[in-house]
Amino acid sequence: MTEKLVIENVSKSYRETEILKSVSFDAKDGEFLSILGASGCGKTTLLRILIGLLEPDTGKITKDGTDITHAAPDKRGMGIVFQNYALFENMTVLQNVKYALKFHGIPKADAEKNALDMIAAVGLSDHIKKYPKNLSGGQQQRVAIARTLALNPDIVLLDEPMSALDVATRLSMRKELKGLQAQFGTTMIYVTHDQEEAFALSDRIMIMNQGEICQIDTPENIMRNPADEYVRTFVIDNLQAKVDSLSKFINGRRGG
Amino acid sequence: MRRKNISKLIISICIALFFIVCVISPIVSMLCRITPDGFMSVVGSPQFLPAVINSVSTALIATVISLLLAISSAWCIRRTDIKLKALFSTIFVVPMLIPSISHAFGLVALFGSNGLITNLLSLDGNIYGFWGIVVGSVLYSFPVAFLMFSSILEYEDGMTYKAAEVLGIPALSRFTGITLPYLKKTIISAFFAVFTMIVTDYGVPLMIGGKTTTLSVLMYNKAVGMIDYDSGSVIGAFLLVPAVAAFIVDLLNPENSQSSFVSEKVEPKKSRMQKILSYVFCTLICVCVFAPIASFCIMVFETKYPVDPVPTLYHIQKTLSRGADKYLLNSMIYSAVTALLGTLLAFICSYITSRLNDKFSKGLHLISITSMAIPGIVLGLSYVIFFHGSPIYGTILIVILVNSIHFFASPYLMMYNTLGKVNPNLEAVGQSLGIHRLFIIKDVVIPKVRGALVEMFTYFFVNSMMTISAVSFLAPPAPKPVALMINQFEAQLLMESAAFVSIIIFVVNVLIKGVSNLIKRKLAASR
Repeated sequence: MTEKLVIENVSKSYRETEILKSVSFDAKDGEFLSILGASGCGKTTLLRILIGLLEPDTGKITKDGTDITHAAPDKRGMGIVFQNYALFENMTVLQNVKYALKFHGIPKADAEKNALDMIAAVGLSDHIKKYPKNLSGGQQQRVAIARTLALNPDIVLLDEPMSALDVATRLSMRKELKGLQAQFGTTMIYVTHDQEEAFALSDRIMIMNQGEICQIDTPENIMRNPADEYVRTFVIDNLQAKVDSLSKFINGRRGG
Repeated sequence: MRRKNISKLIISICIALFFIVCVISPIVSMLCRITPDGFMSVVGSPQFLPAVINSVSTALIATVISLLLAISSAWCIRRTDIKLKALFSTIFVVPMLIPSISHAFGLVALFGSNGLITNLLSLDGNIYGFWGIVVGSVLYSFPVAFLMFSSILEYEDGMTYKAAEVLGIPALSRFTGITLPYLKKTIISAFFAVFTMIVTDYGVPLMIGGKTTTLSVLMYNKAVGMIDYDSGSVIGAFLLVPAVAAFIVDLLNPENSQSSFVSEKVEPKKSRMQKILSYVFCTLICVCVFAPIASFCIMVFETKYPVDPVPTLYHIQKTLSRGADKYLLNSMIYSAVTALLGTLLAFICSYITSRLNDKFSKGLHLISITSMAIPGIVLGLSYVIFFHGSPIYGTILIVILVNSIHFFASPYLMMYNTLGKVNPNLEAVGQSLGIHRLFIIKDVVIPKVRGALVEMFTYFFVNSMMTISAVSFLAPPAPKPVALMINQFEAQLLMESAAFVSIIIFVVNVLIKGVSNLIKRKLAASR
């Protein structure tokens, strides 16, 4: 895979606090990269810098070889899905997905067709006339994804999009997200604090702590060779604890 | 990004300049008129100390009574099992739809030397003076305190009481241990808000004070009656003290109600005795609230109470022939323009302060709520001093401007809180999708806050219709706002005309409130 997005020495501070400390990494074309870390580690700030909602204090961001460090958010060829989806509540599902297209010079009929195709791709064709308040959390998330994908971005950034969903919906959304990525060939950068989610979805995982990257590697390599004590305790021990409690329960049932 | 920053900077500078010109500069220029000699001559004058004592004592007594009545009535509405709660709550806030001077005038009409009840019960008609000010101030300030307590009691978490009951904590201890601490902040806020409202109002003491002069009336007499702006400025500075104190208390004492987590509302008690007492209490409050309005109607529609009770339209015709209809129309036009300008301004400011989280927005937020700390009477005088000689002085534009500033803080805060609850990422999503912020505001944010916009418009309109404080300094001789005619007619002993003017202000405000509620209901249903 070729490098799609390259981040070099990006730093960001608020007043005296250093949120990001010279962060460097890359995302490959078509890759699913998760940024994993506890609350306050700087992962959401990093995502906002990548989309252009925040300017870094120092550093450079390159996409397909072009410097986009200071480009406007809509000129980066990226999309973002927020944790709370930020749907336009006064618009139907179709209007939500179609609305942005009119600002990109797409003729009305084409915009409608694009939007309907995208809604079909996320499996909401039966709900196009519904308003967000009449949809479940999972359906709302799908609208947010369809709205983002309708503009055909190369990279989609997802900011903890599943944290408000129940466990069953989360599991089904994981599959759907991977399916959409395969269908559109989009690079996805996924911010989460959930170790299990990161391991289930990602080609590579980037683990952050206090504004720094601890390790960036495939899930297998992280399991085998954790870079430091933080990775071992925050990621592996936590996962192991979950596995242990589940296996106890499952073994108990078998034994009983 | 740079272009966006420049346009944001230009808007920010324009708004900052507006507030510097319309709020800070007038107050500073008023304070700058105070000289040591002028200060000493006012403070050393024989009227000053009695006025301070009268102001503080009437305001203190009225505040305590108002708060006790407000807590009791809010308790009846939120904590007992009575019916007609919506009706009672609506009637309780009716006094907010007539000017403060009308409340005092209502008392004069009922208990004055030739009042309805004075004649009916053969009383001595001695309502003028200290106790008249107290009663009038209670009538005028009660709804504000009621709304504060009604709202806080509505949002109290019922689970706390259930847990206390399960733990076997007795009723009195539940009241002292749970309810009172919960109400503490609101009691403090309401005390300062009501005290300031009363101490800075001159409508009630001017109408019913008789020989009891308060600071606000002294200021009015100096500044309007004797055109002595220097002395007026000294008294204005004194009146700023409680208002600024209330403002600081409010800043340091943020509300604890709606933001807190409510798992279950408090269940009203199903006690028969409590129910009966609550009905009696609420009905008495309704009678007190409606008595002045009823007295206006009797005065207007009877030929001459109590001598000649034959129904007549003579007083209405007479008042209209004195230009009340034109004044009313003028007032409605000013109020509509004030409401449009004020709503637009308050929306822009609240959008900036609630949705753009930068240093400027914090500064703007502070300036925006500063107008709460400036009593109308002080704002009026400061405008006279600062804008004297400017092209807008003596025109209706200055009345619109002063009203927009005077009533700015409440609608601003209402929209600030509403916008704070709107999804914080809408603009960010818009940016990432290439949708300009203005389109997000027009197509997404405004549809979401339409109800609050209607409420803001109504607030500006209703208050502009009935205010006399700042406008009495600034209104051009013609066309005058209609509320100023109440005092004018009363001074000319045209009591029926003054009553009729109070009624028409009340009717217009009730209609506006009614239409506003209908629109809000429709908007809520269409969501």
